Amino acid sequence: MVELDLMPEIEGDLVVAREVDCELIRVESVMGDAVLLTLTAPDAVVTQLRAGQFLDVLCRLPGFFDPLLRRPYSVYRVDTTGSTLTLLVRPFGRGSAWLASRPVGTVLNVLGPLGNRFEITPRSNNLLLVAGGVGAAPLVMLAHDAVQRGLNVTFLMGAADVSGLLPTAELPGPVEYQTATDNGTMGHHGFVTELVTDYLVWADQVFACGPEAMFLSLRRVVQANRPGTKPTVQVSVERDMACGLGACLGCVVETRAGLRTSCVQGPIYDMEEVIWE
Amino acid sequence: MIPDCSVDLAPTNPRELRLRNPVIAASGCFGYGIEYSGVIDVQRLGAFVSKGITPRARAGNPMPRITETPAGMLNAIGLQNPGIRGFVRKYPRLWEQWEVPAIVNISAEAVEDYAMMARILDEQPGIAAIEVNVSCPNVAQGGFCFGWDPEMSADVTRAVRAATSLPLIVKLSPGAIDLAEVALAVEAAGADAISMINTLVGMTIDVRSRRPVLANLTGGLSGPAIRPIAVRMVYQVAAAVRVPVIGMGGIMTLDDALEFFLAGASAVQVGTAIFTQPGVLIRLIDQIVAWLERNGFDALSTIVGMAQPTSPRTHARNLASARTAAG
Repeated sequence: MVELDLMPEIEGDLVVAREVDCELIRVESVMGDAVLLTLTAPDAVVTQLRAGQFLDVLCRLPGFFDPLLRRPYSVYRVDTTGSTLTLLVRPFGRGSAWLASRPVGTVLNVLGPLGNRFEITPRSNNLLLVAGGVGAAPLVMLAHDAVQRGLNVTFLMGAADVSGLLPTAELPGPVEYQTATDNGTMGHHGFVTELVTDYLVWADQVFACGPEAMFLSLRRVVQANRPGTKPTVQVSVERDMACGLGACLGCVVETRAGLRTSCVQGPIYDMEEVIWE
Repeated sequence: MIPDCSVDLAPTNPRELRLRNPVIAASGCFGYGIEYSGVIDVQRLGAFVSKGITPRARAGNPMPRITETPAGMLNAIGLQNPGIRGFVRKYPRLWEQWEVPAIVNISAEAVEDYAMMARILDEQPGIAAIEVNVSCPNVAQGGFCFGWDPEMSADVTRAVRAATSLPLIVKLSPGAIDLAEVALAVEAAGADAISMINTLVGMTIDVRSRRPVLANLTGGLSGPAIRPIAVRMVYQVAAAVRVPVIGMGGIMTLDDALEFFLAGASAVQVGTAIFTQPGVLIRLIDQIVAWLERNGFDALSTIVGMAQPTSPRTHARNLASARTAAG
C-alpha cells in the first residue's frame, strides 16, 4: 500500500477565520443575471482578505435551516477604507438564488477569510488572467492588486454571450482587456482559452478561474504553446464544501502531493500539481 | 447560583469522563480539534470527538463526497484518515497540552482491529475516552454492519473493553432493527456510555445525469432533517439502559438540545451545525446554562429524561409503542 499523505500540518493549517454578521449595503446587476453584493465587514476580515480567498456565506435567515450549508464565494473586491467587500453572485442553485435576491439592508452571516491565495512571485512583471463567467471574481481582485503594485495585467474573459461579460469599467484602467464569446456577440468568436497562445511568451504567470472544462482546455493550450516550463499557471478550483475549515474533508482535490482540501489547502492550486480527470 | 452543567459520562469507570458542560463536538465534524482552534475557543467545549480513525491509513472515497439535502446533507467521506499509527504520532502530544477532553472515534472491519486500536490508544497521553463506531461492515460476516446486530455490537464492545481501561462510548447505528436491544447488549458488554445516533443511509439522484450524486452512491444523512428520528431513538434507549446516553442528530439550536436532554440524554453531540455555524457550540453552552437558571433548575441532571413518563406502567406502554412504531 502506498504511503498516503493524509496528515494536515498542524501549524500550517491553522485557520484564523471569523463568523461575522455583515450588512448588505449595495446590489448592482452585472454580467446578465448576476449581481455584485457589497457588504460592510469588520476591518479584521476586510484587511486580512487576499486575492483568491473566499468567504462562506449562510444563505438563509436566522431560525431557518434550509438551504443548510454555507456557499463559498471568492472575493471580488475589497475596500479597506470603507470597510466593505464585494461578492459576485450568479443565481445557479437554491443558495445563490436566495443570496442574489436579497434586498439592501439584509444582514448576512459570513465566515472568513478562508482558503489560500494567488501568489505573485517577486520577479513577475506580466500577469495573464483568464476568466470564465463568474470565475472572474477572484481575478478582478487580483487585477486591482497587481496594478497597484505596478505590474502589467492582461485580462482575458470568456462568456456564453456579450451579456455575460464583465464590463470594462470593473477593471482598473491600465489592464488590457480581451473578450471571447461562444456565439461571437463580442470579441473573439470561440473559447477564451483560444486567446491565450498569443500571451504565453509575454506572461510571467497565468492565473485562471472558471469551469473545469476551461482548465482542461487551458492546460492543453499552455503545455503545447509555452516556450519552456514558464509561465506557470495557478487555478482556482471550485468544489462543493461543507465546513470550509479543512475538518470534514468533503472538498478534497487530488494532487501529485496527495489529497488537498480545496477550502484550506486550496482553492488555488498550481495547475501542474492537480491530477485532472 | 450558576446551575451545575457538569456531567460524568463514565460514572462506574475509575478513570471517569467528567465534562464541564454537556456540549460535545461530534466525530467527523470537528477534524482533530486543531482545525477549529483559530475560529472558536475549543477549550471551552465539554469535549470533542476526533474524526474516525481506522487500523490503516485510508484515502477515503472519490469525489463528490457531500451533497446538500432538504434541511440536511449526505456525506460519504469514506473515513479519510492517517490510520491509528499516523494518528498517535501527532495528536495525543498536542491534546495533552489541552484542557478540553479529547475523545477518539475508532472504526474497523474486524473485531481484533478494534481491540488493536484500543490497546494502542490505552498507552497514549491526552486521550479522555474512546468512541467506538459500530456502523461499519463486518468483513467476517459478509459485510453485515456490526451495529445492526446486538451480538456483533457486543463482540466489538467486549473486545475493546478488554483492551483498555479508558472510558468507552459505543456509538449506535440507527439502522439496527431494535436499537434498545443493541444498547442493552453493549451495556452488558462493558460500554460506559452510549452515543446516538450515527447518520442514516441515504441517496440522492441527479436527474440530469441520471446517476446518484455521490460517487459512493450512498451517504450518511445528517442535519435537522433527522432530528425527530434521533429524539425518538434516544427516548427509547434512555428508557432501557442505565449508562449515560449522549444524544445527537441535527441539533442546531438550544431547543433542539433541550429535546435530547428531556428525552434522556445526559450530554449532546453537535455535528452538522458546526459546518454551518462554528460558533453554535459555544452559544449552546451559554444558552443551556442561562435556560436552566431562568427556569429555576440548579443542575442539568434534573431535566435529563424529564419527558419520560413517571409511572412505570405508562413507561412500559410508551416504550412498547415506540418500538412498534419503529417496526
